[in-house]
Amino acid sequence: MELGASVLENISLAGDVAHIPDKLFEKFVICACQGVLFEKHRDVVADNPAFKDLERAILKAAYSGLVTLLLEAAKHDTTEQNLSALLEECKYTPERIKEFNKIFLAQKSHIQLLLGKVGSSFPHIVDVDWRLDYYMKNNHMEKVNAAVYLISLKTEVPGESELRDVQFSCSLEQLQDLVGKLRDATKCLEKIAQV
Amino acid sequence: MEEVDRIIIHSLRSIGCDLEDDIQSLRQFGTELIVATVVRCLKMIVGDIDLPSTLPPGMSARFRLGASLANQVQDLGYKGGDLGYQTFLYSNETEIRRIFMFLVEKLPKESSQSSDEPMGSSVLLQRAISSEVATHLSAAWTPPFLKEKGIRSRAKLPGWQREGACCLQHYHSCHVKTPVAVGNLSIKLPKELRAYYSKRMPYVTNQTSRHKDTAPSVMETNSLEVAVQQDWDNEWNQVGLASRLSQQEFKKRKQDRLLKLIRERLLQDNQRREKSGGLGAAGDLQQLLNSIESQAGTAAVKTKGSRFANTEKLQYGKDEEKTLSQVGAAVPTKDTEEEMEQKRQEELDGLRSDLAQLTSDLEQLDLEVRKFRASKLQMEEAISAEQNDREQKQAAHSVKKRTLDLLPDAEANISKLQLVVDNSAQRLVNLAKQWETHRGPLIEQYRELRQYNSKRESEAQKKLEEIKQFRERMKEVADDARKKDELQKQLVSEYERMTKDVNRSAYTRKIMEIVSNIKKQKQEIDKILVDTRSVQKEINSLTGKLDRTFTVTDELVFRDAKKDDGVKKAYRFLAALHENFEQLIKMVEDTGAVVREIKDLEDQIETESNKKVLQNLEKITADFQEMKNENTTLIAKVKGKK
Repeated sequence: MELGASVLENISLAGDVAHIPDKLFEKFVICACQGVLFEKHRDVVADNPAFKDLERAILKAAYSGLVTLLLEAAKHDTTEQNLSALLEECKYTPERIKEFNKIFLAQKSHIQLLLGKVGSSFPHIVDVDWRLDYYMKNNHMEKVNAAVYLISLKTEVPGESELRDVQFSCSLEQLQDLVGKLRDATKCLEKIAQV
Repeated sequence: MEEVDRIIIHSLRSIGCDLEDDIQSLRQFGTELIVATVVRCLKMIVGDIDLPSTLPPGMSARFRLGASLANQVQDLGYKGGDLGYQTFLYSNETEIRRIFMFLVEKLPKESSQSSDEPMGSSVLLQRAISSEVATHLSAAWTPPFLKEKGIRSRAKLPGWQREGACCLQHYHSCHVKTPVAVGNLSIKLPKELRAYYSKRMPYVTNQTSRHKDTAPSVMETNSLEVAVQQDWDNEWNQVGLASRLSQQEFKKRKQDRLLKLIRERLLQDNQRREKSGGLGAAGDLQQLLNSIESQAGTAAVKTKGSRFANTEKLQYGKDEEKTLSQVGAAVPTKDTEEEMEQKRQEELDGLRSDLAQLTSDLEQLDLEVRKFRASKLQMEEAISAEQNDREQKQAAHSVKKRTLDLLPDAEANISKLQLVVDNSAQRLVNLAKQWETHRGPLIEQYRELRQYNSKRESEAQKKLEEIKQFRERMKEVADDARKKDELQKQLVSEYERMTKDVNRSAYTRKIMEIVSNIKKQKQEIDKILVDTRSVQKEINSLTGKLDRTFTVTDELVFRDAKKDDGVKKAYRFLAALHENFEQLIKMVEDTGAVVREIKDLEDQIETESNKKVLQNLEKITADFQEMKNENTTLIAKVKGKK
């Protein structure tokens, strides 16, 4: 994890007792987490009366430092030790490091979920409905007598709340081919997982 | 030998040989198992090899398999005696052990190789990815309606994970601002900026128009800063330090260079354009502009025309309609338009001439105004000159007036004036003296200070150099520390992976045990050697003593034997006794040798019996019988075919 010089400076501001007193630090970190996670709390520090006595400019700088740290640490899945080392470099006291780690580790997976939302994807298959029909004859042919599978794949499309159907029909051989392909894909993933 | 067996069996198990749990030594290996494990080892060593891992049923096929195994092992460089099909098919323990020791040594040692060279961070990333994929794979399928926005909990690494693509958003970031240098009191911020920071600037999570863009924006800002810093560091270290400038100077120079480059490029471009003249792009542009202008002109005329026509219609609409109805449809409306055009032209001309008149008037007036202004300035100058003149004259007048006033009582006034002049001179001298007294020490002090200053400057220079050196060293150390940190991280992860692998620890433990055993054995051997030596010594001393006593007794008795018959008899007895005992001692020694020989022979019998000769012989005869049978059946078949 790499942080810019100004970000580090802002993080040290947040850890400085002269700017943010000990009893407000915990609240401040919680506010930073909430501000990152929830849209309705995006202005939570400004709304919170506990911080009204502090110097606004410094508060804003410290807040942005903490927000950057939270996001980057979650992005890199930073461990407690690495985080402690980094905070020590920013002249945090051991109590504050402990406090910060406690709050951050509790929220890390949430922030990671938030970061996991960023990206793009093909439609993602989540479910399937199927039906096996027996196709007997048509106006040209008196006797067809073949099995026809009707497959309806349910897919999730980025940016849409409803599932979208992908429908097609296929014969037994085609379906076997498809299943074989899917099996290959699974094997491929398993191979990756075994490294 | 047990230790060796255990190590061999352990390494065979680690390469995936299918060994039963109760197998503890190589003695328990049957032919089937030996062939299977040897084939497995060869596959591990050579990689691609075409050998069946189980014994074929046919005797001749077995024979061929054994021969090819022997060939393969010899190809690998085995030098422990003659090797053939019999080694595998009719095994004996020691030979099999030797072959397995050789094969185990030849096994590829992946783990040790990979631990030698440190892995890059890409390997770590790969591992993280694979473990993540593994957790995802191990999770069971969950219907989408059970997942709130694609989020599900997971058991391993308790927490949540995202599945599916329903809530994905594109990466979109905007610029976010943070207050700069507010915590540093040494930097003076403008009041307005400070006011903006504290009053108007929104918090960082409130700056993007959509809240979900916050995370990408913040991360991008950070990466941007890191990248810029790295770039600058690189440049500063490569070019900047060599230029011996301060950072600001270097930056300024770079800026100048860039500006100069841009200016030159622009100039070149301009020149090229001028050279190409009207034919080039500029000409095209001019043409284009002209065409646009003309188009706009016609368009304006058209619209104007239509407006005119409209008003015309409004004014004369009724008359025209009448005339039109009278004259009929043949009368074209063009006439009126032409007239109108003419009228308009006239009007336009009139207006133009008016305009020209007015502009010329304006210019004239402007000229006049300028003239007036100039004359006004001149006048002002004249006035000020006059005023100066007047003041001078006034001063002269007042001096003259005073002298005239003083004239009547000239003598007294002159003396008074003299006095005043003298007093003034005195005072001047006094002041000069005082000045001198003050000036001396001040100059001295000034010189001292200057010297001190120059000294300090040189010191500062030196310090600066030192600081530069320190900075470089700091950077080096930091780099070093970072590298070591990374290495440590890698090694830790490596170690975590290794702990599953008991191979190494088992080996080391066994080796340690063997070493201690050997030490113990050596000690015992030493003890026994010492014992033997002391016994030997004792025996030697006893033999010496016996010899000495015997010779003394022999002499004594021999001397007396000449005188006395009884003594003669005793002497004879003594000789017989000595001889008998000598024989006895010899017998004892012989017995010892025989016992040793017996032990040797027993050992030999043991080793021979280990070779399972009898068993193997039986097997060989059975196999031979079988082969014979096969041959007869084959011959019978051939005959039948014929």
